[in-house]
Amino acid sequence: MKRKAKKAGANHSRDSAPDLREVSKILEFMEQHSLDEFEYENGNVHIRLRKAQSHAAGAPFRAAHSVPEIVVAHPATVSSATPEQSGSTPEPIDENLHVIKSPIVGTFYSSPTPGADPFVRPGDHVDAGRVLCIIEAMKLMNEIEADVAGEVMRVFVENGQPVEYGEPLFAIHPSRKQ
Amino acid sequence: MAPGKSRAQKNRPSLPRRTDKRIDALLSLLSENTTIVISGAQIAKEIGVRRQTVWRWIETLRAAGVKVKGHPRTGYHIERAADVLAPKLLARGLRGTPFAKHIFHFFKVDSTNTVAMRLGEEGEAHGTVVVAEEQTSGRGRAGHSWHSEKAAGIYVSILLQPQISPMLAPALTLVAGLAAYDAIAEGSGLLPDIRWPNDVLLKGKKVCGILTEMQTEPDRMHFAVVGIGINVNQSKMPGELASIATSMRMETGRAHSRLELLARLLWHLDRYYNQFIAEGAAPILRRFAEVSSYFEGKRVRISTSTDNFVGTTAGLEPMGILRVKRDDGKIESVISGTVAEAE
Repeated sequence: MKRKAKKAGANHSRDSAPDLREVSKILEFMEQHSLDEFEYENGNVHIRLRKAQSHAAGAPFRAAHSVPEIVVAHPATVSSATPEQSGSTPEPIDENLHVIKSPIVGTFYSSPTPGADPFVRPGDHVDAGRVLCIIEAMKLMNEIEADVAGEVMRVFVENGQPVEYGEPLFAIHPSRKQ
Repeated sequence: MAPGKSRAQKNRPSLPRRTDKRIDALLSLLSENTTIVISGAQIAKEIGVRRQTVWRWIETLRAAGVKVKGHPRTGYHIERAADVLAPKLLARGLRGTPFAKHIFHFFKVDSTNTVAMRLGEEGEAHGTVVVAEEQTSGRGRAGHSWHSEKAAGIYVSILLQPQISPMLAPALTLVAGLAAYDAIAEGSGLLPDIRWPNDVLLKGKKVCGILTEMQTEPDRMHFAVVGIGINVNQSKMPGELASIATSMRMETGRAHSRLELLARLLWHLDRYYNQFIAEGAAPILRRFAEVSSYFEGKRVRISTSTDNFVGTTAGLEPMGILRVKRDDGKIESVISGTVAEAE
């Protein structure tokens, strides 16, 4: 279980996102039928949900009862890192680029307030810790920060568009250590 | 690595200076000895400043609406406990919660959320409270401002560092809304409503607004700041807000203690927050269903950045996302946007 999760997560350019709304529906279904585990397979996507309360002690989060464990396994044939719904050009992403993904489902805002200048544009150099965008969910404004320093190569999402969990937001070409 | 360490390069202006601890002590001294006249010399000795400073600070308190009687020759007193949200006075009502220890008070600040975000970056503790008597640029969602009349409302931001996945964090906004709901219900004796996700309404008008901001890495939350504005003692709302906003005083016809209300708010926040961390979103959603007329069966207009439609609310998803049934039967998941009651 743990090993599998790691494997899927390690290859950053390969794992695309599960649709969280689908996951929510499954969670509801699990709730209704008092299920602790759920497995689902459809083409390239394999989702397995297991309620953390059925874990042994030492669950990773304190909000243990509500944390589903999500494992998304992809066969090696899946090569595009950009989900189709993002609508951007399907060209594959350079292996050297660092892709920043959305940690939550929400609405993407490229600027701090409507009409203001965007936080970043392609070509900008950013330091680690720089705010790149805001993802809003339920009036929670989530500032997404760069976790590496480098040049912003691509912005995958347009202002005001919905994003899914794990959806690529930015590609950054990491700068060499100064 | 301590949160905030990597953000040292950020070029932000330095923090405004918080209220001097000795002003806090002065207020406490006067509040503990209401109706007793204390000489300027005695106050100066107790809080460790010169008599001229005492006089200057008394003027500061008067400007903030504290009714201090007397003058430098006779000494000073107040007739009843001051309704200033000062740390020492506030902390008394918060014993046993994480909010009693780190309270940053400002007479005037641009935005309590801006200060609290900054404190979060600097690694301040979970439970840090930032409170102001007046905001010069109080913020709401999508660049809206929050009307922050001096000493009339509660303008507070709370720094939280839950050890949860960012994916679960949006339910924190419901947690904050429920805390505000309970505080306002108890304080006013009226029955408020909650408009999803967390506007608290009295008689259909907004009495409390909440803006939550957080900083995360993809898989880890650094911190969240919950900013809460409550209209308490405003006797009227400025023109453009009059039809959509109200205050507790306007609905009850009497003034309310902001100090007491803030203590109630933080006390309920502690309670709901602990419940959320221990049991997850389920009990929070159940409570929302109990108190909000927007939970299901409400005709609403939804405006998002990409859509605008009318429908009927149909409950919440497990993480708190609002479900709205369009008139053609299709169910929409509303993650963000504006919810308004439809005729």
